[in-house]
Order: sequence, then C-alpha cells, then structure tokens
Amino acid sequence: MKRMFDAQLIGPFAAMIIAAAVVALTTDSFLNPGNLSNLSLQVSIVALIAIGATVVIFAAGIDLSAGSMVALLTMILAQMLKFMGIPLVLAVPLILLTGCLLGLFIGLITAYGRIPSFIATLAALIAFRGLALTFNNGSPVFSLDPALETIFYGSLLGIPLPFFYLVFFYGLAAFGMNYTKLGREIYAVGGNPAAAVLTGIDVKRVQAITFAIAGFMTAVGAILMAARLNSGSPNYGQTLELQAIAAAVVGGASLAGGRGNILATLMGAMTIVIVQNGLNLNAAPSSVQNIVLGTIILCAVGLDMWRVEISAFTRRIVGRRPPPGKAG
Amino acid sequence: MTTAFLELARISKAYPGVLANDKVSITLLAGSIHGLLGENGCGKSTLIKTLSGVQQPDSGDILLNGTPIRIPDPQAARRLGIATVFQEFSIVPTLSVGENIFLGALPRGRYGVVDWRKVHADAAAVLAEMDVDIPTEALTGTLSVGEQQLVEIAKAVAMDARMIILDEPTAALGEDEIERLHTLLRGMRSRGTAILYVSHRLDEVERIVDEVTILRNGRVVRASGEMKIAIPDIVNAMVGEDVGEHYPKERNATDEVVLEARGLSTRAGVRDVSLALHRGEVLGLGGVLGSGRTEIARALFGTDALTGGDIVLDGKHVRFRNESDAIRAGLALVPENRKVDGLFFNFTASGNITAASLATLVRRGVLDLAAEDTATRTLMRDLEISAEAEDKTVNFLSGGNQQKIVIARWLFSDARVLILDEPTQGIDIGAKIAVYTLINRLTRAGKSVILISSDHDELLAMSDRIAVMRHGTIARIVDAASLTRNDLVRASASTADPVRPRPQEATV
Repeated sequence: MKRMFDAQLIGPFAAMIIAAAVVALTTDSFLNPGNLSNLSLQVSIVALIAIGATVVIFAAGIDLSAGSMVALLTMILAQMLKFMGIPLVLAVPLILLTGCLLGLFIGLITAYGRIPSFIATLAALIAFRGLALTFNNGSPVFSLDPALETIFYGSLLGIPLPFFYLVFFYGLAAFGMNYTKLGREIYAVGGNPAAAVLTGIDVKRVQAITFAIAGFMTAVGAILMAARLNSGSPNYGQTLELQAIAAAVVGGASLAGGRGNILATLMGAMTIVIVQNGLNLNAAPSSVQNIVLGTIILCAVGLDMWRVEISAFTRRIVGRRPPPGKAG
Repeated sequence: MTTAFLELARISKAYPGVLANDKVSITLLAGSIHGLLGENGCGKSTLIKTLSGVQQPDSGDILLNGTPIRIPDPQAARRLGIATVFQEFSIVPTLSVGENIFLGALPRGRYGVVDWRKVHADAAAVLAEMDVDIPTEALTGTLSVGEQQLVEIAKAVAMDARMIILDEPTAALGEDEIERLHTLLRGMRSRGTAILYVSHRLDEVERIVDEVTILRNGRVVRASGEMKIAIPDIVNAMVGEDVGEHYPKERNATDEVVLEARGLSTRAGVRDVSLALHRGEVLGLGGVLGSGRTEIARALFGTDALTGGDIVLDGKHVRFRNESDAIRAGLALVPENRKVDGLFFNFTASGNITAASLATLVRRGVLDLAAEDTATRTLMRDLEISAEAEDKTVNFLSGGNQQKIVIARWLFSDARVLILDEPTQGIDIGAKIAVYTLINRLTRAGKSVILISSDHDELLAMSDRIAVMRHGTIARIVDAASLTRNDLVRASASTADPVRPRPQEATV
C-alpha cells in the first residue's frame, strides 16, 4: 500500500538534487545561507497552495481557481484589517474559513451540479478576480498591519517561519493521504469513480471535500502573500494556480487521478523554484525562465509517460535476454 | 473447401521475461472455423496481435497462399482481408452505429463529402444480413454491451473479410445472440471465409468449431487438424493436468429467508419481480441478454429507484436511496465488467480488498495499515491470489486473479448478500473453478449469493434454485437440479414456450 515514503519519491527527489547541483555548480551564491533561506520563502506560497491542487488532482479533479482566490482573499483580509478594524488574530482564522467555504462551494458545484471541475474552477478563476476588484474600487491596499509581516518574515531559532508551515502542512497532508480513511477514499475516487460508488464510497462528498481542502490551502497561501507585501491587491496570484499544478505534475501526480505522492509535490515545487533561482542568479531574462519552466514540465511528464519505453530501451542496450516462461 | 488461406510456421515472440509464442505453427483453412484455445497467458493474444499486424514476430513465417508475407501494421492486415474483432471494443461510443461500421472507410460522394445515405443504407444491409435489429442512426454508446459486440462484428462483416479473427466474441452475448452469431459464422464459412475463433466457453466451441489448436505456455500442445477432441481432453490439455470436478458445487442453503423482494418495478424495465433468497443459498438468474437480470441487480442494490414494490431484509423493510445504503445494509455487487466498475488499478491487492470496509480498519481516526496487511495477506494466501499482487498494482494481474480480488473485497467486508454479475466472464478454466470454490466458501459462511450468468452449464451447476427471467420479470423459480440445459435455453429464449420443470416446482 501507499506509505509516506515510497518509490514514487525517487524520481522527483533526484530531479530536485540534480537541479540543485547544476545551479550550485554554475553560480557562486546558490549555497549561501542567505540564498537558501530566501529559497524557502520563495517556495512556500506555491508549495502550500500546491498541496490543495495535488489533493484535488488525486481525486481526478483540477483546480484552476487558486490564483484568483488568493487575490480575492488578500483583498478581504485588507478590508478586515484596514477598514473594519478586525484584529489580526481574528482575521486570519476568518480568511482560512472563507477560503475553505469558497473551495467547498466550488466542490459542491462540480460534484453535485455535475459541472466538470475544469469548467467550474475556470469560471471561478474569472469571477474571483472580478470579485477582488470590487473591493476598495479595485485598488491595492497597502500597510495593513506590521504584525502581519511577521507571519512571513518571522523566524524561530534562526529558521524562517514559512519553513515550519511547509513542514507542518506537508506532514499533515502526507499523514492524511496515507493513514486516514479520507485519504484512501480520495485515491479510490481518483482511481475509479464507478468502482468507488459500488464499494460504498460517497464519491461526491469526497470530491467536494478535496476542493474545500484546496480552498483552505489557498487561504494559507493568500495570508502569506498578504504578509509578504503587507498589502492586499486584486492583481496578486496571477498564474499561481498553474504553478501549483506544475509542482504537482513535476512531482509525478497523474492528472488522470489516483496516483502520486503528496511529498513529491513539495519536491516538484522545490525543483521549479531552484531552477528559477538559478536562472535569476545567472541573470537570465524572464522570457528564458518561462521557456525553461515549460520545458521542465514537458520533460517531467514525458519521463513518466515513456517510463516503459525508456526501461525497454535501456534493457536493449544492456542486452539482457528474456528467460522463457508464461506469457500474456 | 480445404485450401490453406494462411499458414503460420514456427512463429516465436518474446516479451521481457516471457517467451509468449514458442515456434507456434497453425494452418488456417478457407471455409473452416478454427478454435484457438488455452488458459489466460498461454499466448493466444500474442498470436492474434501478430496476425492482425499489431506487432511483429521475432522469428517464423507467415505464408499467404504459400507465399511468405509480412503484416507490418493493422492497415496491412485489413488490405490482406484479415479482420479482427478484439475482446476490448474498438468502437467509438459517441458515433452512430453506421459510422462505426464504416469508420476509416466512410463512402464519399461528390466533392469528398461523406455520403451519409449510403453509409446508413450499407450499414442497414450488413445488419440485415446478420439478422440484427439495431437502428443504424443509434448512438453506439447507448446500446447494450451485447449489441455493441454485434456492431463490432458487423465492422468485420462489412469489410467482406477473407479471414476473420474473433477474440472471445460471445463473452458479452446472450444465448439467442450467440446462436445468431453462429448462424452468421456458418454462412461465412460456407462462402469460404477462414475463421479463427477464440473462446473460453467450451460448450460453444463444441458447437461451432471444425478444428482446434490448444496452446499452453506459448506452445502448441494439441493440434487436432480436422479431428474433434472431447471437452474433458481439451480442459486437461489446456491446464496441463487432470482438473477433476469442473463444478465443485456445495449445497449450503437453509430455510431462513434473508432477502425478500415483493413486486419490484423500476423504470429500467423491471416488472413486478418477487423473490426470496435464503441464507447460504445461490439463486441463479437465467435468461437472455436484456431479459432484465442486470436490471434486477440494480433495483436490489439501490442504483435504480423503485417505482413499485419493496425489499425486506432480515424481516425488516428497507429502502435504499443509493448504493451506499445497500452496502451499509449488507449487500454487495460484483459488477459484470470488473475492469470498468470493479477494480482500482491504482491500488495493490490490499487496497482493492479493503476499499469497501475501510471504516473497520480505523483506530482512533487512523487507518491500521498493519492490520490491513495481515488480513489481506491471509485472504490472498487462502484464495491463492498471486503474491505479485502484494506490491504491484492490480493492472499487472491476470483476469482470474483480478476477479478473485474483487470477490475477496466482499469476503473481507461483512456483506451478507452478494450479487455476482457474470463472475467468470473472460477468465480461464482454472480461475473459473477458483471462483466456484469461492462461492462455496461464501455460502458456507452463511452468506447468500444471487448469481447472474450467461453460461448455462455454470448457472445450472452452481445454483440451488434458478429464476428464469423474461421481459423484466421472473417467469418461474425452479430447483436447479430439476432443470436441464435444454429446459433453460428454451425457457429463456422463447416467449411462447414457458418452462416446465420435470419433477416438481420449487417453492418461490
């Protein structure tokens, strides 16, 4: 059965190490403590949102709404802190709740309304961005709360706080996926929804829950985004949903559902951020960065799809002869 | 009549780790139906793939009228007049029947536009020749599995093939459709078509086949030429040992009624169905395809809403809003199509076996994976499920192992009433016997089984009583021992000739 650490982690882990090695060799500053801690800050928002994106993908859905939801939630947070006088300690859980409910809403629409999640979340992607613009006449709100910044820039024992968020949420997600009934049901629904129905799994409920989880993780990302810049803006989070999906895919999650390891998504996100960091350190223009990112996604999925052919090819090179036996 | 159309000479094909075909030689005569038999994994599929151009042999020759040829791809096979009806359908469900029949060769009129009138007229002609009544405009996906299979065969008929390969063509067909197909094949045979017929159902092999080749472990073990072999010899040759009792039926039925249906009706076509299922009993549902057997299963299982009647379980009235309700109440359905509706291909055996009973594995909110492993490993050893399934996902397993896993799921759960819809379809003899043993094990444990099967011999041998279905309702429920194969065929096939059980009628 699936356990937290299994063979599915080897590929994404190797990719991450290779990316890190290449960047470390081609730049002087990659291994500086300052750069490494910057790296964990950079990866945190995408990687946390990618948890939700991956859980949705495990259940054979897709969530395109995360980026716009980030913008909407930062604007709601700004509204609360700046204009409604709600204290930070109350505003943060309220945002988490709002994200969770928005996700649940989308989940209910796709699961019970039978609208494909691609369409439902595409609609949400557009509508949430519009909704974000209805706050503060569509202008960003700055200087929300000095305490908000500590959520992102604070540190404990010299380690940036976002590192702990990553450890906490990925630990929780990996535990949930591998050691709970819900986690197993998510894999089952993604693997074969028809069989899941016939085994008594409430498929629609499970699908709706994955979107609620995604909404919650998007809210976590939104709070970090607002904290990072101490502001809310209807322009935040552009293409963040695609980066999150890319992290899941580079980590080996199958878009057909049912297959993948949540911890591999963290490695996928790390790989992407390391490559971006390497290109930054080498002063590559953003055009090159995007081309490289696209190529990585293609290669990651390609390596996965062509696994059989690649292993057959290597076998031919090595030249092992098959022993006789029963055939299919 | 007896000129060789195609000759396979010493064909070998190896896959990584396996020699799938080991110097296989077969001569396919024009105007002859050649049965190709063997257990799953014996190399039949490999041979078919070679013949239909899907793959190339490593060595050996294919001779067409004595001349060596290559069949580099499926198009080449088609050009040579070789049509293949694969077990896995290759029809497009979203296209009409007519389009599917001529897909890839749609007749064009002026300006290169598809001549739809000709498509449908020609398709109707082909279907009429086959004596099949399906409208050519119907969307293929809306047809029953059996009708889809006939459309699949119609494609081969339409291309006027000189040789036709049928891989388990009757797996999804009812008795009357099988007979229709056989009539069609006999017609093709008399017109000089070479036919290669692969089937797991030996009763029909006996009826239709002129000569037989039996494969085991990639080699030809019996090549009969024009001679016929007796069925027990075929079975022994396929398995490689004396298999003993083909149907190891145990009688475990008691008088205690577990499930009772009273006057069930649904929109799907179930009409006024009443039946009582006893503890430890196997109640067989017989009847032709479309007679309502699967529909009864859906009605009992909460898939289709009842428009009338009620269900009594252990003396209490129950109403199932959906499948989950039925499963919670102790019902289970092993669906007809295990690949589409039964298995989780992303899970190993244990994940598949425990999927319906996860709640029993939860300790303080956490799945007890160690308990899961221990329990499933014991069950797998008991049921002789390949140990490979322990750490490989189930798509790597044979059909027999897959089916055992689907049934094991309900052995692991506390389901008390199991509906088995065609549980031995497409699996080999050895695995079939294993499934029968499994049915005994279920009834011995006090569970009750509703068995749906198109294999009459199996239904007669493994059921305690049989309900003969016709037009969505139960014509009679009779003691299986009092029924012969002919009674059953006649009872389910004709509407005018009701079943007359010989000694006495069993209580309903």
